[in-house]
Formats: sequence, C-alpha cells, structure tokens
Amino acid sequence: MPEIKVTPLGAGQDVGRSCILVSIAGKNVMLDCGMHMGYNDDRRFPDFSYITQNGRLTDFLDCVIISHFHLDHCGALPYFSEMVGYDGPIYMTHPTKAICPILLEDYRKITVDKKGETNFFTSQMIKDCMKKVVAVHLHQTVQVDEELEIKAYYAGHVLGAAMFQIKVGCESVVYTGDYNMTPDRHLGAAWIDKCRPDLLISESTYATTIRDSKRCRERDFLKKVHETVERGGKVLIPVFALGRAQELCILLETFWERMNLKAPIYFSTGLTEKANHYYKLFITWTNQKIRKTFVQRNMFEFKHIKAFDRAFADNPGPMVVFATPGMLHAGQSLQIFRKWAGNEKNMVIMPGYCVQGTVGHKILSGQRKLEMEGRQILEVKMQVEYMSFSAHADAKGIMQLIRQAEPRNVLLVHGEAKKMEFLKQKIEQEFHVSCYMPANGETTTILTNPCIPVDISLGLLKREAAIGPLPDAKKPKLMHGTLLMKDNSFRLVSSEQALKELGLAEHQLRFTCRVHIQDPRKEHETVLRVYNHLKGILKDYSVQHLPDGSITVESILIQATAHSEDQGTKVLLVSWTYQDEELGSYLTSLLKKGLPQST
Amino acid sequence: YRDLHTFELQAPTRLIEWARGSRVCVAGYGQSDGNEILQLIPPPTLLTKETQGLCPERDFKVECGGFSERPVYSLKYVPDTSLLVTSGPPDSSLQVWQVSAEDSDVIKSVSPIATENGTGQSWAKIATISARAPWVLHGSRLDRVQITEVESRKNVYTAASRGSEELSGLAFLDCNTLLLCCATGQLCVADIRQPQNLMEAVSVPSAPCSEQWCMGTRHGAQGLEPSSQPVARLSSRGLLTLTDLRKTSEFLALAKARVPSPGSGAEFLCVSWAPALEGCLAISGFDGTVHVYDTQSWDSSGREAEPIFVHKGHAFGGASGSGDPPLVTVHTWHLQKPRTLLSAATDGSLHVWDWVQPCGKC
Repeated sequence: MPEIKVTPLGAGQDVGRSCILVSIAGKNVMLDCGMHMGYNDDRRFPDFSYITQNGRLTDFLDCVIISHFHLDHCGALPYFSEMVGYDGPIYMTHPTKAICPILLEDYRKITVDKKGETNFFTSQMIKDCMKKVVAVHLHQTVQVDEELEIKAYYAGHVLGAAMFQIKVGCESVVYTGDYNMTPDRHLGAAWIDKCRPDLLISESTYATTIRDSKRCRERDFLKKVHETVERGGKVLIPVFALGRAQELCILLETFWERMNLKAPIYFSTGLTEKANHYYKLFITWTNQKIRKTFVQRNMFEFKHIKAFDRAFADNPGPMVVFATPGMLHAGQSLQIFRKWAGNEKNMVIMPGYCVQGTVGHKILSGQRKLEMEGRQILEVKMQVEYMSFSAHADAKGIMQLIRQAEPRNVLLVHGEAKKMEFLKQKIEQEFHVSCYMPANGETTTILTNPCIPVDISLGLLKREAAIGPLPDAKKPKLMHGTLLMKDNSFRLVSSEQALKELGLAEHQLRFTCRVHIQDPRKEHETVLRVYNHLKGILKDYSVQHLPDGSITVESILIQATAHSEDQGTKVLLVSWTYQDEELGSYLTSLLKKGLPQST
Repeated sequence: YRDLHTFELQAPTRLIEWARGSRVCVAGYGQSDGNEILQLIPPPTLLTKETQGLCPERDFKVECGGFSERPVYSLKYVPDTSLLVTSGPPDSSLQVWQVSAEDSDVIKSVSPIATENGTGQSWAKIATISARAPWVLHGSRLDRVQITEVESRKNVYTAASRGSEELSGLAFLDCNTLLLCCATGQLCVADIRQPQNLMEAVSVPSAPCSEQWCMGTRHGAQGLEPSSQPVARLSSRGLLTLTDLRKTSEFLALAKARVPSPGSGAEFLCVSWAPALEGCLAISGFDGTVHVYDTQSWDSSGREAEPIFVHKGHAFGGASGSGDPPLVTVHTWHLQKPRTLLSAATDGSLHVWDWVQPCGKC
C-alpha cells in the first residue's frame, strides 16, 4: 500500500525546534529546521543523525522548506546546511528569505559574543546557507523536480509566514507551520483552498486555550502605558524589529491620536528604516486594510512615533520607547533598561517569550537584583509587565482550517500528548478522519489511496456499453478488459487488441464436464429429453438439436453416451470454451439436478 | 468595572459550574449530537485575590473535555468523587461522567441513570451532595423527584407525589432537607427522613398572565442553619420574592426588577446569591444584561428596585449584529472574590467581570 511517513525530529509533543521529516512517494522533504530556545547545548538542535547515519543528507533529502523566520523554525538552518552538510535547495517565501538572515545573525551574536560559545555557526555560514535558498511566491506551484512540486499558502502569524503543500503525483501533504485564523491589525488570516491533501500537519500549541479577547488585551496594555505616562514615567518595550512590534506601533499610534496624547513615542533607529523597508517591499503580505490605506499614506510612517536617539533616554518626562533586541539581552534595549530600572515610576513591558539566561527572562521570573558585567548590581525598581500578543490558532481555528482544506488525515505537532487526546477525538468525530500525534523520533505511517488514471479504448467502451443494461450513473457496471502498462501509461483495451499489440497468439481453452443421469432408455431418447428440458428452461438462448445427435446451447455442446459399465446411466458430456464459462457452469449445475420425470 | 475579560467559547453554554481546584465547567446545549463538556482552568488572574492588569497567562485552558450525545442543560459535580452528572432533553434520564484529569484529558461517559419516562416529561433538574454517600437529587416534575445513590444507582428516596407541575429547580438545604421549586412558583420543602410529607411554602403573587419562576438558594454559608437563609424566586416578568423558610406564610421582601417586558421566555432565567456579599443577588435571562441588586433595602411592597450594577457586555460584545441580540444564558458568582461574576450568552461569549460599587459601602 502506498504510504506517507512522517517523523518529527523536533516539535513532536513539545514546543520549540520544529523539524519534521516527510517521506512521500519516494521523495524526502524536511519541514522547518528550528532551534530550541530553552537549551544551551546540543539539545537545542534537532537530531539530524536520525535521518541518515552515514549517507549524505544532500542525497537523501529532495528539499528543505522553511515556513517563517521565527528562530524555533529556522534557527538551526545554518548549522544544518553548513556544519552538518546539505547542498540541496531550501525553499521559503520572499519575506522570510529577506528577514531570516537578520535574525540568525542577531542570535549568533548573542550566543557567541555574549555567551562565548565556540561550536556555533559563523556569519559566513549564514551567508553561504542563504545562497542555497530559492524564494517562492504565494500560490505559485514550484517544481522541485519532475515529480515533486510545492506551493505556498498565506498563514498570517508573522510577515511572510506560509503553509506549504507538498505534492507528488496525486499524493499530497500540507504543512501549516505556525498560523492564525483571525486577522489582526497588520496581517490577514490564514487561508487555504479545498485541496484535500492526504495529510494535514498542524500545530496545536494553543489548541487547549480559550483566549482572552484581543480587545481586552489591548485595552489592558494601553491602560498600563497610559497610567505610566500620566504619572510621568517612561515605558520601555523591548521588541524584535519585525513581528509584533508593528502591531503594537499601530495600536499605540491609533490610541495616541484618539486620546490626543502628547508624550513622545520612539522606535529604535536603523530598525525603523529596515522594518519599513521590508513592509513596503512586502506590502502584499499585509492585510487588506493596510494595503488600501497605503495609497493615501504609509501605514508604517507614523505621526506620533519618531526615530530614537540614544541621548533621548536621558530626557526628563514621560515617553514610550520601542527598542531592540527583544529579550533585553544586549544592545540598545538593555542600555535603556539600565538607565530606567531604578525609578519605580517607569515600566518595562515584555512582549514575548524570553530565553533563559537573558535579562528579560530573569526579570520576568521575579528577580529584582541583577548582576551586570563588572560585578555591578542593578536594582530593578521599575514595574515589570508581561504581555503576549502572539498569534496562533486555537481549537476553533484548527477546526476551521481542517474544514477548509478537507484532509484525509490530520497530524498534530507542538502539543503535549496527554493534553491533546480531547482535540484528537474532536477532530476524529467531526471530520471522520484519523488524527495522529507522534513524539520526537517516532514515525507515523499514513496509508494513502492514490488514484491511478487509466485510459480506456473507445472500441472497448462502446462494446461494453452495448451489452446488457443501459449505462446508469447510479449503478456500477462490471466490465472486462485487459490493462496494458507501457511507457508510464495505463490503458484498458479489449483482449483482442491487447493480444494484437503484444503480438501474442490467442489460446483456446475448452472445458468438458461429465454429468451422470439415470435414464434406462436409449441414448437418442435421453438426448431428446434433455433437449426438451433445456428448451423449456432456457427460453432466451438458442437451443438446438443437431442431426448428429448433439445439443447446442449457444456455442456449448452437449452429447450423450451410455455409461460403459451401467446401461441405465447415461453420461452427458458438456463442453464449452472459456468465453462461455458462465453459461457452461450454469448448464452443468442445471443438468446435475436431474431431468424432470414427465419429458 | 474594575476588571472585565471577555472570552469566546466555540459553542454557547447555559451552565457554569465550579469544581474542585477552582475549575469551571461549561457545556454545549445546541446540537442534538456532538455537544462538548469542557472543564476549564481559569487564568491565574482570576485565581489570585488582587487583580493584575497584564498577566502572562490570561486565557482559560481546557483541562479536559467530553462529548455528549445530547444537549447538556444541567451539570453538577458529585462532591468527594471524580464524577459529574448531566441532564438534558429529550428525557429525564441522567448521564454520569468520570473526570480523571491527571491521566487523560477526556471526560469519559459512564453508564446513565435511567428514570421511568412518562409522556411529556422534560429534562431533569439536578442537585448533588455527598453526605452519607454521593447522592444526586433529580426530577423533572413534582411527582417524579427522587434521590439516587450515584455509585450504586440505588434509589434512596422518592418524594411523595403532590401534583405534576414541572420543576424549575431543586436543592439540598442540608443532608436531610430538600427544597423544590416549581415552574409555577410554588416552593416545597421535604425531609427525606419522612418521605410521606411534603411541606408547601408560601406561593407567589398571582399574575394575570402565566409566568415562570426559578429560585436561588444561598450556598457556602458555613455554620448557619440552612433554612434561615432566605430563598429568592424570580419570575419571567421580573418579580423577585424573598422568603424565609421558617416563616413561610409571608414574604420577607417583594420587588420588581426593571426588565424588558414581555420577557423572552423563561428558558434562561437565573437568580443567585452572592456568596461573599451580604444580601446581594444577581439576576439574568431577560436580555443581554446581568443585574446586581442589594436586597437589604427591600420591603414587601413590590416596588421597582434599582440595581446597583448592570453588566451590559454581552449586548455589545457580539459579532456582526446578525440575527437576534445575544441573551445571557447563565451567570454565577466567584466563590472567593466578592464582586466577581462569570456570565455566558447565546452567542458563545463568556465574560468574567469585577464591578465597583458606585457609591459608598459594600
């Protein structure tokens, strides 16, 4: 049976370091190549040795696909391609290709420069890795080779995030990466057509949550910022340049405008330009509303948000600053944090997950005395808040996506097994499909039923249509033919044509059966009895009594002889060709029942 | 408001029940099949005493869920066990479920408790207690009230038949005393040690048009004589009566709530006492609002009462404005936080809100 094999190397039943291996119709595809942000050792990379112990990865894998630029989906890519070794194509969308190297370089800097690690990829490796990348457009079918094709769909979540369909012949798999089914201020919602893949691989991180409405989150965020600014404090929001930052900027800008607030809002220099540049470049990736208003004014050119200068941090009075990097681990955001930490009127709002070891992580865990370089202790008096605006699909969203795509099977990643049993049952009940949840290293095999297209010869079709009852759309009709498999094509033809094409001679098969009948009379009388009997029953068939004493029913021959040892028993020889098998067997069983007394 | 959180459930619920460990349970009632029972862990903001604005975890988490073949109209946890009981149309039988959150997140169905189903019986109202053993009190009509031991399925008590009025609610006042409320407004008290007696309490003021009634009893008042707690009754026209069960010949208080008339039916009428605020009760089921009243100033005149707070969230929250405005199906008070309530509506919304007393006390 044809099958699709899926093995998560990461993100099977845990969050972080997404990496899934898919084998479909002889092709091997790696989906995402992420880094686990919680570990500092080899555990942060997926276990690539699983793929092939000694063979070359380039020979084994047909391609690698990256869904979006978050490090838990692409963080291990340079390590994989340059340190482990892979030279095949890497596919991702244009925005992902543009933004990925920036994040990778940023992360590399922290890991190597700040933490002093040595076994890590270099800047050159990142560059070499990106040279292997082939960028794709949405809804564009890309031929990886003659048989394997891929297509990207919009996933929402972050700029450039995509869901990928991988197709070989008529078997296909759809991988969602991270996606979001509800649109937000700067991105639209994920969408896919009714592509009916054999398998849908979906993330289920938020499947068990019922989320607080976005309005409430935003309202609380704005309230906090407003309160701080009203009492003269400063608000620091450490962000990654791209991603939620834009969402929050739009939110604040709108709020400032509505409330007519005067306190300045700043966004890190350098990153503002780059971010704007990317959003302008990839405007088609943002949502409808932004595209519509973009004509009048650039949504990302803000009235109230200005470029930041280092010196501003010392200005008195309230202000809000967006600074990078996002986990307060280095650079500008850390500098500002150190300046403002001692004042309890100030506030820092952490917008997302912070890796262990970073200042962001420490203060979120409650630490209020931090050791900085040079053994200086920094006392944190400013308010520390956390808020997550990340966009993932919840249970309702997952069901929506499954309803849109109509897969035959579903596989869930990114969740804990125990907590996914309910969702698994829900999916199985509502859609009547099988749902799988493999752990890392566990291979799931999904059986597929591919359709094999076969051409039928016109002559055969006409002939079969003429026999028996008329063709009816509602009733299946059995027909006979010969299947010829030649040169990668399948044809159904009549046996005669097949024999001709293949240059084979037709063999005749003839069956003969002996039926014993108790009849003491003479042979020709027995024959007459048989003839009358058959003539009476087989009214639709041509039953003939030939002068030589034999009976024919269509092309079946019946002859009678006396039994050699017992005159009272007559032996009927019934003989037919293979083509008349059905009628022949029927006649035989009819005769075996014996002749009626009267004839 | 001091705080307001809005959530959206995949399917609307008409019950919100508290379970051990501050869990909350909701269940679907819409379809004939495939309704979900969800046991939720509220976000930490709701569990702590102080209100935090921004909190890492602001979401409800589905701890476990089950699938019910029938709409779930009523659900009660059986104390001291890992079981819960549900009821719903088309008949008055009860379904029993097992919750084992540590092992798996599926609420499994255990065999149902059947009841004799006469014609015209609707779904059973239920109440549970674990006094001598885990019991469930159930019945859809006054003449079909019984107590069944949950684990053995033995019938422990059957109430003496009085009439065949439909019940709108029932409760255990203590381990021996039951309180039954009919849809017509009649209250009956029964002592399970004397199955033949069924004491009738004061009836309600008669009305020109037929109205439906429901009741609310006070829980959790430790150490106090249960029958000393006034019982509130709410009618579909907005009338509220308070009755002291020790003096059933008269009302303690009578008031009229300001509700749209005529009411949209009595399907979701709900009245409940605040567990931590003396004399405060909340009503809902008339429209998309929940009213909170302070009954301490009420008398028996039947005047219109002014609510001390009205939650309007459900009327606005709703989506595109397609179809009818949402109707609040149920509300309940937080067991520890004195002014926090949870309410749900027909559009699937679930709100958690904490109100501020507009002036002075409370």
